[in-house]
Amino acid sequence: MDAVSVKNLKIRYGSHVVLNGLNFEIEKGNIAAVIGPNGSGKTTLFKALLGLIPYEGEIKIFQKSIKNALKRIAYVPQHFDFDRTLPITVDEFLSFASNGKSINAKKICREVSVDILAEKLIGDLSGGQLQRVLIAQALIKDPDLLFLDEPSAGIDIEGSKAFYDLIKHINKEHDVTVLLISHEISMVSDLADQILCLNRDLVCSGPPREVLTKKVLNKLYGPEMNIREHKHL
Amino acid sequence: MIVWLALPFIQRAVLAGLILGALLAILGIFVVLRRMAFFSDGIAHASLAGVAVGVLANTNPLLTALGISAVLAVIMAWLERKTKIASDAIVGLIFTGGMATGVILLALKSGYQPELVSFLFGNILSIQWSELWLMVVLAALIVAFLLLNYKRLALMVLNPEIAHLSGVPVTLYQTLLYVTVAASAVLGIKMLGVALLSALLIVPVSTAKLIAKSFRGLMLWSVIMSELTVITGIALSIQLNLPTGAVIVLCGLMLFLLTLAGSKLFNR
Repeated sequence: MDAVSVKNLKIRYGSHVVLNGLNFEIEKGNIAAVIGPNGSGKTTLFKALLGLIPYEGEIKIFQKSIKNALKRIAYVPQHFDFDRTLPITVDEFLSFASNGKSINAKKICREVSVDILAEKLIGDLSGGQLQRVLIAQALIKDPDLLFLDEPSAGIDIEGSKAFYDLIKHINKEHDVTVLLISHEISMVSDLADQILCLNRDLVCSGPPREVLTKKVLNKLYGPEMNIREHKHL
Repeated sequence: MIVWLALPFIQRAVLAGLILGALLAILGIFVVLRRMAFFSDGIAHASLAGVAVGVLANTNPLLTALGISAVLAVIMAWLERKTKIASDAIVGLIFTGGMATGVILLALKSGYQPELVSFLFGNILSIQWSELWLMVVLAALIVAFLLLNYKRLALMVLNPEIAHLSGVPVTLYQTLLYVTVAASAVLGIKMLGVALLSALLIVPVSTAKLIAKSFRGLMLWSVIMSELTVITGIALSIQLNLPTGAVIVLCGLMLFLLTLAGSKLFNR
C-alpha cells in the first residue's frame, strides 16, 4: 500500500512554476528522503503534501485526500522561531500540540529522552534538545506518516548521527512512514529506502544505490558532489 | 480611595478598569507572542472612523467603533492571507486610512468635539453604565474564548503548520484573534485613549515575563500586574488630580522597573 501517491503535481507562484508535473509513490513503512539544491522546491513540495498551499494534480495520503488524512500525519518543521524569553515549559508545549488528548505522551517522552526536560523552558533548550521536543510533539499524535523538514539543521555532527538513529528507531518501532528533506546526502543514502531527487522536476526516484549515481548528483549539484560512507547506521 | 469609592462614577471607573485590565493582560500575551503590537495600535487608530460615524449618526460612538474595527480586522487578516503585501504595510494602510476618514467625518460636524480628545487620551471617569455593561459582556465573551482556546492559540502563534496538523482551523483562529484584539483595543480606548492603549497590552506581560516560570504563570502574573497597575493608577490620578490614562501607564512602567530591579537583585 502506498503511504503517499502523487500524480502530475504542479505548483506555481503566479506565472513562476516551482514544481513541474511530479509523479511518485512512497510505500508504507519506508523512509524516503527528498534531496535537491536550494530553491529546488523541496519545502514547497512538503507544503503541498501537508495541504498548506494550492496545487494542480492529485495527492493521496493512504489513498485518501489530504484533508481526510490529516489526523494520520505529523510534522517537524525546519524553523521554529519564537520569542525565547517567553516562559513556556516543554510539558506545556507538548500539551498545546496534543491538546491534552494523548494517552501515551509520557511513554513517548521517555523514548525520545524528553521526560528529563519536562519542566525546562523551551527557550532554554539547545538545538538538539528542541529537535527532540519537536519529534515528541509529532509522535504524541501517534501518526502513520511523519514529515521532517531538514531535521538535523543546526545540530552538530554527533547530534545529527544520534538524530538519524532516532528516526530509524521511530520508523521500525512505531511503524511510521517517514518523509524527510535533507542536505546530508551521505547520511540519507545510508538511512533511506527511497530517494527523491528534486530540481523543480523529479530528477530521480528509487533506492539510494540505484539512483544516487554520479550523473544524477552532477545534474542536481554540479560536478563537485561526492558521497562519503557512514559506518554508524 | 475608600471615600472616593462611594461615588458612582468612581465605582464604574474601577469596575471598568479591573475588567479591561484582565482582558488586555491575557490578550497582551498573544499580542507579544505574535509580535502584533503595531497591529493593535493601528486598529485602535483606525477605529476613529467608527467613532466619527457614531458622532455623526447621533449614536454611541463605542458601538460604531467596535463594529468598524471588527470589519477592518477581518479585512486585514484577509489581505495578509491573500496578498503579498507585508503585514506592517497592511496595518499602515488601515491605520492611516481609518484615521484620515475619521478626521474628515468629524470635520463635518461643527463645534467642539469632546469625543476626539477622549479618543486620544481616554477618560475612564466618564464611563456610563450602558458602556460598562457592554464592556462586561464583551470582555466576558473574549476572556472565555481566550481561556478555552489558549492552547490552540499559543500553538498557532508558535507554529501555524504544527497547529494545522493538530486540527486547529488556523485561518479561522487567526481571524478571531485579530477581531478580539480589535474589539479589546476599542474598549481600551475608553480607559487609556488611543495614544496610551498599547501600554496595557504590552507592559503587564513584559513585567510578568520577568518572574513567570511557565505559560500558566505568565497568564496569572500578567493579570495580577495589570490589575495592580490599574488600581494604583486610578487611585493616584484621583488623589493627585492628574489624567487617569497617563497615570495608569506610568504606574505600569514603574511596576516593570521595580520588578526588573528585584529580579536582577534576586538572580545575582
